[in-house]
Amino acid sequence: MASLLRSLILLLIVQSFLFAIAFGSNEVEEFSEALLLKPLPDRKVLAHFHFENRAPPSNSHGRHHHLFPKAISQLVQKFRVKEMELSFTQGRWNHEHWGGFDPLSSMNAKPVGVELWAVFDVPQSQVDTSWKNLTHALSGLFCASINFLESSTSYAAPTWGFGPNSDKLRYGSLPREAVCTENLTPWLKLLPCRDKDGISALMNRPSVYRGFYHSQRLHLSTVESGQEGLASGIVLEQTLTVVLQPETTSVESNMQPSWSISSLFGRKVVGRCVLAKSSNVYLQLEGLLGHELKNVDTEIEAHELWKNAEFELSLKPERVLRESSSFLFIFDIDKSSDSEPFDLGLTWKLPSKWSCQQAPLHASRFLMGSGNERGAIAILLKATESQEKLSGRDLTNGHCTIKANIFQIFPWYIKVYYHSLQIFVDQQQTTDSEVLKKINVSPSTDKVSSGMMEMMLELPCEVKSVAISIEYDKGFLHIDEYPPDANQGFDIPSALISFPNHHASLDFQEELSKSPLLSSFKEKSLVRSYTEVLLVPLTTPDFSMPYNVITITCTIFALYFGSLLNVLRRRIGEEERFLKSQGKKTGGRLKQLLSRITAKIRGRPNEEQSSSESPAAQSSVLSSKLIFKIILVAGAAAAWQYFSTDK
Amino acid sequence: MDNTDGRNLRSSESWNHAGRPFITTSVLFSFLLGVPFLWKSVEIYRSPLPFHDIDSLSDQIESTPLRFPCNFHAVFVGFRSTDPDNLRSQIQDGINQLTHQNSQCGSCNFSLSVTVQNRDDQCSETLAHSSTTCSYRCGVIKRNVFGVGVDDTVDESLNDVFSGCSEESGKMYSVVVVNKENANGEDEVKAVVGKGRHAWIVGNGLEERYGDMVARVSEIFVKVFMNGGREEDSIQGEFMPVGSDGRIVLSFSLLNSNPRDWVYDWDFQRIDEALLAPVTKALAPIANISVESQVLYHTPKSSFSSWDKKLQSYIFRTSALPFFVNSNEWHLDTSAGASGRSKILQFVVYIPSGKECPLLLQLPNGEISKTNGFISPIWGGVIVWNPGNCDKDSESSSRNTISPQDLEQIVEIFLGQFRQLFGFKSEAFYTSGLGTYKILPSDRGFTEWELDVLSTKHTCFNLHSCSTTLGSLSRLVRSLPRMIIKDEIGEQVKYSLKAAKLAQSNASLGEYSSSASSSREARSLAENAFFHPSIMSVSYFSYEHCFAVYSPFFLPVAGHVVLAALREWKRYKQEKAKYLTWLTRKKTA
Repeated sequence: MASLLRSLILLLIVQSFLFAIAFGSNEVEEFSEALLLKPLPDRKVLAHFHFENRAPPSNSHGRHHHLFPKAISQLVQKFRVKEMELSFTQGRWNHEHWGGFDPLSSMNAKPVGVELWAVFDVPQSQVDTSWKNLTHALSGLFCASINFLESSTSYAAPTWGFGPNSDKLRYGSLPREAVCTENLTPWLKLLPCRDKDGISALMNRPSVYRGFYHSQRLHLSTVESGQEGLASGIVLEQTLTVVLQPETTSVESNMQPSWSISSLFGRKVVGRCVLAKSSNVYLQLEGLLGHELKNVDTEIEAHELWKNAEFELSLKPERVLRESSSFLFIFDIDKSSDSEPFDLGLTWKLPSKWSCQQAPLHASRFLMGSGNERGAIAILLKATESQEKLSGRDLTNGHCTIKANIFQIFPWYIKVYYHSLQIFVDQQQTTDSEVLKKINVSPSTDKVSSGMMEMMLELPCEVKSVAISIEYDKGFLHIDEYPPDANQGFDIPSALISFPNHHASLDFQEELSKSPLLSSFKEKSLVRSYTEVLLVPLTTPDFSMPYNVITITCTIFALYFGSLLNVLRRRIGEEERFLKSQGKKTGGRLKQLLSRITAKIRGRPNEEQSSSESPAAQSSVLSSKLIFKIILVAGAAAAWQYFSTDK
Repeated sequence: MDNTDGRNLRSSESWNHAGRPFITTSVLFSFLLGVPFLWKSVEIYRSPLPFHDIDSLSDQIESTPLRFPCNFHAVFVGFRSTDPDNLRSQIQDGINQLTHQNSQCGSCNFSLSVTVQNRDDQCSETLAHSSTTCSYRCGVIKRNVFGVGVDDTVDESLNDVFSGCSEESGKMYSVVVVNKENANGEDEVKAVVGKGRHAWIVGNGLEERYGDMVARVSEIFVKVFMNGGREEDSIQGEFMPVGSDGRIVLSFSLLNSNPRDWVYDWDFQRIDEALLAPVTKALAPIANISVESQVLYHTPKSSFSSWDKKLQSYIFRTSALPFFVNSNEWHLDTSAGASGRSKILQFVVYIPSGKECPLLLQLPNGEISKTNGFISPIWGGVIVWNPGNCDKDSESSSRNTISPQDLEQIVEIFLGQFRQLFGFKSEAFYTSGLGTYKILPSDRGFTEWELDVLSTKHTCFNLHSCSTTLGSLSRLVRSLPRMIIKDEIGEQVKYSLKAAKLAQSNASLGEYSSSASSSREARSLAENAFFHPSIMSVSYFSYEHCFAVYSPFFLPVAGHVVLAALREWKRYKQEKAKYLTWLTRKKTA
């Protein structure tokens, strides 16, 4: 049987290979890796890992893959995702020191926790279902509680305030989500080399999570094939941005710390991921060299640039590229091996100082008011120093203006009064129409949907500060809607401030460069910044209260009912007469009192009790009845116990 | 006495003479009336489940195992003077002896017919009483066909002969015994089992070895057609690798254990289209099969191998096989394309790293495994594939593709492993005490008679699992009297029972594939009912909770009401006694 099977299969395979030669496609799945290192002005170092995986247009997506992760492809196929971005962030991006006007910050400065947005390629009515299913799938894939974004109270459908304009876009964020290594591991699993080889081997967990900021991002987009009957291609971009503090030995406080890859990560690169089409390390130096070496031809000076009076690199770069204000040193890690690991180091010789390019306005957000009833949210935009230099001004109507979009989601229990929106420009209250060009509000519905506000401001260029405030009432949640540890407070997701007329891009004038990292820098990206997450304390009840309330009200009702029934039923006159007659017969005040008390206790005149009975006999009757009652109660308790433990 | 009289008179005048008892009784009765309403309000919804039907189904499946009708037909060609009735009773005895009258589920309820065709192509036949619809047309089988040519052509010609017979009640299995006397005296007897539902035995002088022939015919019927050539229950029903929703995902992974040494890729899509599609199509009544593939890198195995000087290779002993699969590094992944209860069978091609190449698997008896692979029931299979040249330096670090010849070998082993997971052997010869039978392989991976056996086994397994699932559901529901049961569950149980009934009736009619598919449906519905999310979540609204909520009010109030009623009753009796004595006094007075 085996031999026959073999001959048959051989025939079929030869056939199929002939077929393959005739109709074979030349596009294959491609993977590339890159690492960008950048010293920051506040003595920290930014490391940006960039991995790109491309799957060409094919009909076998989700079924047959060589490099591209099968799970992601199946996700795209199953939920018809057109574009999607998922980010896990811990720490807050420091816009003042780490930059706010370059592609790196506009793409990788993300709000704390989890942020997810996706555009779907399904009919409008199915978008919500797809979103819900997608959140569940992602939550399983990345070991995170992304499934909390499923409920309609936690996501929104931005129209124009967020960025990509689409009516099939959904956006949600979870500020409370703690991000740690259990989210990084599944993220690494999507890379062909995982963290076994190549640049990703640097991701030593303790050093990555020791940093001031880390944000892991996954962005996927589909590329239309343009051909009939062929599914679209997928581009998966995975980045990890970390801000680390190099350990310094220098005593001089104004000296930038020197560092190397091994001192930052505790590991060295011992070779490239063999599956990567390109694997490069970039070092970006900003600002400081710009004025000194302006007139020098970089091509000639390239070999001198990496060793000069100010700093020294431990390795010679392959090439040096320059942009208007920064230099980019390119290193190829191809030559490194186990014996000769790649360990780039930067040593500063002179104290140096530079500053980063900043977004036109710096945004912050805070709460006003006190108490558990109401409050106000304020967003403060302050002009930054670099504002004048920026080119993105809109000079229509002869005025210089800056446009700013604000996008904000309010959970339903923050009941915002949109009429109370106030805008102060340079501490002067303005009527809305002066600066507010466009506003889109979708109010929240209790327990059904969250509220969303998008506004477009057009501000004069010389503005110093803008404050926006809006008042809200705090809502009450149902008892089972409270999360665990409700006393901690509730988070309001970050607001997004974007500047539609300002685009950041870094163009290194390198046509030959096929590096996905550089080409992603070259694309113009919208300048945006996220504000802080706000923590709102809501009234939290005592969760055992319902039972207490039930018990107390029921007891009061029972007392009232019992006494009413007694009043209606008892014959007071009769009882008094009876007692009197008894008192006459027995005499003695003490005895009378006692019998009255017993009558009171037992609730009825003891008619059977004859006068001849001695107190002793009476007490024995009383005690026997008491014993009987006790036995009855004990029996009931025992029966209850028996039946309740029977299961 | 005066006192009593006076009181009586006064109370009869007063408004509350009847008022107090009335108040007490009305309150008491309103309370008693309220009890059913309270009971109703704390009641929880339980959809009525057909407990009786479930019990009867499981009883039926246990007591009377499902038997499928099979029609056996033996054709003796070129025999001179044999009485078909005699032959029929002998073969029947032989079959009964081999089956030991066992009546486990999936066995055959057979009927046998025998035709004897003599040399002049004249027939005498004995037909089974049940099936007369499909008879063999006399003289269609020519003796000379069997002499020459390959087995495949014979198989095809027999296929044409018997093709008209398959669709009638039950399947028709035929064995043709051809007696050739004109050949050159070779004493060889050749027995072949075809791809369809037929087999043939060709030889010289068979008439003389008449008893032997009868034994072999009955053996083919029982061992091959009824049991599928498998060992007696080599793989139990529980190991049927089909998900409870009737789906299988075949996930193929190519593992490059160390891509620094070499990287191999494959063109699996073409394999899928060319080779696996017919197999999945053939198995469609049993399971809905989908195929996926991926290539993974940096996936070392989790145990070490040892260097063998004699073989010049690394040896991995079968005793260490449980430690071969490295679940930490092999991210084979459950498929997002598969829904919750699908079965995923992982088939892994492992390419050893340069440090352990070539890697061979050693059987317990010291021999080297020919397939260099192994299966793990339910999980899937692993094949170790060594690159042709284990020299690291000669390989370029660029990506290589596994050659078509190697891929062919790999797919062959895959198919063998896949068959093995279903309990079939992949040997070309089936050997029994009476001789060997050549088995023709099908290009679809499974021959028709194998598919029949698979269908019956699968039906049995599904019905059994359906009845046990429903049984445990009914036990669970009955043991938790305060569990909420939604209508959906009730409906799923109902439909599952319906499908099970349908499967049973189809089976008794001999429609193998439709009974397999409806039994599949029955099982998946039963599992859906058992794993319904509403059962798993809030399933219990306890008595304690009820007691805690209602007792603070109703206990004291009920105490008051009951005590008041008792007292009124006592007083009424007392007063009545007094009244009666007063009456008698009055009479006597």
